[in-house]
Amino acid sequence: MKKTIIITAVSAMAIVPLFLLAVSINENKAEGEALSSVPKIKAFESRSAEWGKHFPRQYETYMDTKKDDHFVDLLDKYPALVVMWAGYGFSKDYNSPRGHFYMVEDNVNTLRTGGPVDDKTGPMPTACWTCKSSDVPRLMEEHGELDYFTGKWPRWGSEVVNPVGCLDCHSNETMELTLTRPYLVRALDKEGSLPYKDVTHQDMRSLTCAQCHSEYYFKKTEWTDDDGTKKVANVVTFPWDNGTSVEEMEKYYDDRNFVDWTHKVSRAPMLKAQHPDYELYKTGAHARNNVSCADCHLPTMREGTTKFSSHNTGNPLDNMQHSCLVCHRGTEEELRATVGRKLERKDELHYKAMQVLAKAHIEAGKAWELGATEEEMAAALQDIRHGQWRWDYVVASHGGFFHAPGESLRILGSAIEKGQEARLKLRIVLARYGAAEFVAADFSTKEKAQEIIGLPYDKLVEEKDHFLNTLRQEWIKDATEKGLFDPATREGMDNI
Amino acid sequence: MQAGAIMKFVSAGCVITALGLFAYVVNASNMLSYLSSDSETCINCHVMNTHYASWQHSSHREVGCVECHLPRDSFVNKMTAKARDGFNHSVAFTFGTYSNSMRVTDDASRRIQANCIACHRDVVAEMMEYGESYQPLEGGEDVARRCWDCHRGVPHGFTRGLLSYPDNLSVKEL
Repeated sequence: MKKTIIITAVSAMAIVPLFLLAVSINENKAEGEALSSVPKIKAFESRSAEWGKHFPRQYETYMDTKKDDHFVDLLDKYPALVVMWAGYGFSKDYNSPRGHFYMVEDNVNTLRTGGPVDDKTGPMPTACWTCKSSDVPRLMEEHGELDYFTGKWPRWGSEVVNPVGCLDCHSNETMELTLTRPYLVRALDKEGSLPYKDVTHQDMRSLTCAQCHSEYYFKKTEWTDDDGTKKVANVVTFPWDNGTSVEEMEKYYDDRNFVDWTHKVSRAPMLKAQHPDYELYKTGAHARNNVSCADCHLPTMREGTTKFSSHNTGNPLDNMQHSCLVCHRGTEEELRATVGRKLERKDELHYKAMQVLAKAHIEAGKAWELGATEEEMAAALQDIRHGQWRWDYVVASHGGFFHAPGESLRILGSAIEKGQEARLKLRIVLARYGAAEFVAADFSTKEKAQEIIGLPYDKLVEEKDHFLNTLRQEWIKDATEKGLFDPATREGMDNI
Repeated sequence: MQAGAIMKFVSAGCVITALGLFAYVVNASNMLSYLSSDSETCINCHVMNTHYASWQHSSHREVGCVECHLPRDSFVNKMTAKARDGFNHSVAFTFGTYSNSMRVTDDASRRIQANCIACHRDVVAEMMEYGESYQPLEGGEDVARRCWDCHRGVPHGFTRGLLSYPDNLSVKEL
């Protein structure tokens, strides 16, 4: 009897504090959950302003990308590019990039996307929208990926209106970083060194960027729709099966006899590199130290007592206090000078490579003119293909000279070597046809260069203007009626 | 005798309730996680969110919380310190006696300093050798000042109020 009373008393004495403790734990847990609760944002909400209502600091800094509105006509700056891209869209129009805010407008305005007159005309496939807009994941979901990738660029003109924003990297349910472009997941798994299932949060802070800032091509993929009609999709695909180095991707393309276009002057089977930013970054010192894209491009900022990640993605040199100087000693001036010197070194080889490759194209063109045979030309053209691909891999890679200076110079060195190899071979062919002393025509200005390749520049501009004044206006009207168009995404632009 | 039998049931009931509650508290408080060295354990309670987030974005993010905050010389010392800190933290969190600006205790600050030195010995060897000639000594330690008296932002930054990182910890960490 006495024993049971003691046991009861002791138990009761334990029950009371345990009960109070349990209540307290649950209260604190509820508080913790409330603090990290996620606002309700509807699935596939492509208007970043809607997300911005809950995350004003991130949204406002994202909209600051609007201030990065300066751009340079690179064809004017480097006329050799016109010759190197003869027969390809980039010889028509190629500017340095502006802030993310402008991506849809710049895609619509460039001469490369042409002047379509309805949803079935124009030079480009639907794939060209893929990296431009938060509306793309919705279209892939609604129509299926293959259907999304089928047809011409204007097909989605009235659906794709919001520049890449919140939805492209964040889950609306958890706000966690997420990949919305399935081809990156497929590429990671094929490449194998970082399968998607092993990806960490820190990896995601780079991979969300790699969804677009990577090398890709449009893979022709046959499929059959519900009505049994055979169709061909141009699917954005990363050539990572063998790895992500310049040689491994070159082999990928060679093995598949893939050709982006046949050069108009040299008839070389060309490749166009598409900003392999992530791939080149991976070979550099920052990546080796596990510094992600977000660490420098979306650094943590302070506003009053609050810290948040700045979404003004752009050049970290504009914000060194919060990017470089968080880890590096030294002053802004010193670091800026170091980076500047890296750029000069790259530009030196970049310029040399362009001169070599452009001349190689013109010399090959002359050889054809004199009656050279395909057999005589094949080896030189293959060298031109490889040389230009390598040069482009570095030059198209945003910030590659900084992310991986050593690798960039190594690749540019091999580009120059390939280009000169081609020129040596071509000189023998030229000599055989009595033109040993042939000198390539002058391509020192954009106009001269466009004349060499016979580009109808004025006609292209006229078509573009017509498109912007007609079909484009209909797209905006339709998108507004569908509730997709957010005027805030065009504020201050004069051509809407 | 009948009262005795009832009492037996009552006491058995009390014991089962107490054990049940204990099991519930073990589960609800994630008690077993405290035996691990996982940094996420430190944000079982949300008051550490800011310190977790600031660390996660710092140069020291590859080094877990316990590697700086607990002694590393012996297992016993580590567990004793963990138990003592854990008890103090539980009391503070349960009774709400913490403030918006949290500081380490003197005891913890000694441990952290020792851990700074343990990893960065090469860098600070000179300082420790000659520290005596220009630093007033205090409590028999090598160097009287703390590393973070100068390296103030390492690794938790300068802004570390409890709500300083509102968007940093979503469900991914919980």
